[in-house]
Amino acid sequence: MTTKKKVLIIDDSRTVRQQIALTLISAGYQVVEAGDGKEGLAALVEHADVSVVLCDLNMPCMNGFEFLKSFKSGGAHPGVSVVMLTTDGSPDLVAQAKRAGAKGWIVKPFQPELLLAAVRRLSGEPE
Amino acid sequence: MTEDAKEKRLARMLSSCTADLLCELGAKPQSIDEVRRPRTSGEHIAAFSGFGGNGFRGSYTLLAPSPLLSRLHPLPPTVDPRDLTDWACELVNQSVGRFRNRLLSYGVDMILSVPQSVLAEELRLSSSLQPARSPSVFVIDGMVLEGWLELELNPVFRLPESPLNQEELALKEGSLVLF
Repeated sequence: MTTKKKVLIIDDSRTVRQQIALTLISAGYQVVEAGDGKEGLAALVEHADVSVVLCDLNMPCMNGFEFLKSFKSGGAHPGVSVVMLTTDGSPDLVAQAKRAGAKGWIVKPFQPELLLAAVRRLSGEPE
Repeated sequence: MTEDAKEKRLARMLSSCTADLLCELGAKPQSIDEVRRPRTSGEHIAAFSGFGGNGFRGSYTLLAPSPLLSRLHPLPPTVDPRDLTDWACELVNQSVGRFRNRLLSYGVDMILSVPQSVLAEELRLSSSLQPARSPSVFVIDGMVLEGWLELELNPVFRLPESPLNQEELALKEGSLVLF
């Protein structure tokens, strides 16, 4: 039996983290949660086998762009894909995230089937 | 367009964003006049988010009794007040997020603060900036959700009569883009 890959969820809303976790766990994924960008960076040190990060934008302590910049500049996880998950649909911010190295953008409230499709594709699993 | 007319348009737009969100959560909100709202007592939660852009700033506060927030919560029923205050923050975040996305099509951009919430018995709000302003009031399953918009506009703020070109349109809620 193959073990599904691990996904890190970074969002300051416990409710949103739980919603995403339920969606992913029901599809067989392992899940790690963090409440802001700083916690997310720490979680990546502890869980080096994370394959996809779903990251909110508007968070206290360290927001999503700050996380993305720090994560990319560290260079420690070249195979990990980051998808931004936010209420913001601004084309300028989407382009900014792409330039900063994100692999995708989801506008909340998320559709579970689309979120799963994105995670499957980015973790290299069949859709 | 006068400042008052701009404020009223923005208030209607934000109220519509909240109504759309409530509908997506499976509720059937009935929008009513503030003066006709039923008075409710007991534990209430207020969550607010600040925002600002070129020539304007403000905040939006949602106020609702705990049982209504529990009713709207997307996960199985819970009694943990932390879950409800957290959910109230997410509701105001998603309401204002929609508002920002709508305004982008008018060429208006803004940034949002991280939402905050408070839980209290017999919680009541009033407008400090616009004493005459009434909140948007929605009745859901006999319970009341209020949306209070506070706005400060200065003369440089522009709100076109109609949306600008399509390139400025924000991604729709629920959409996904992979790069």
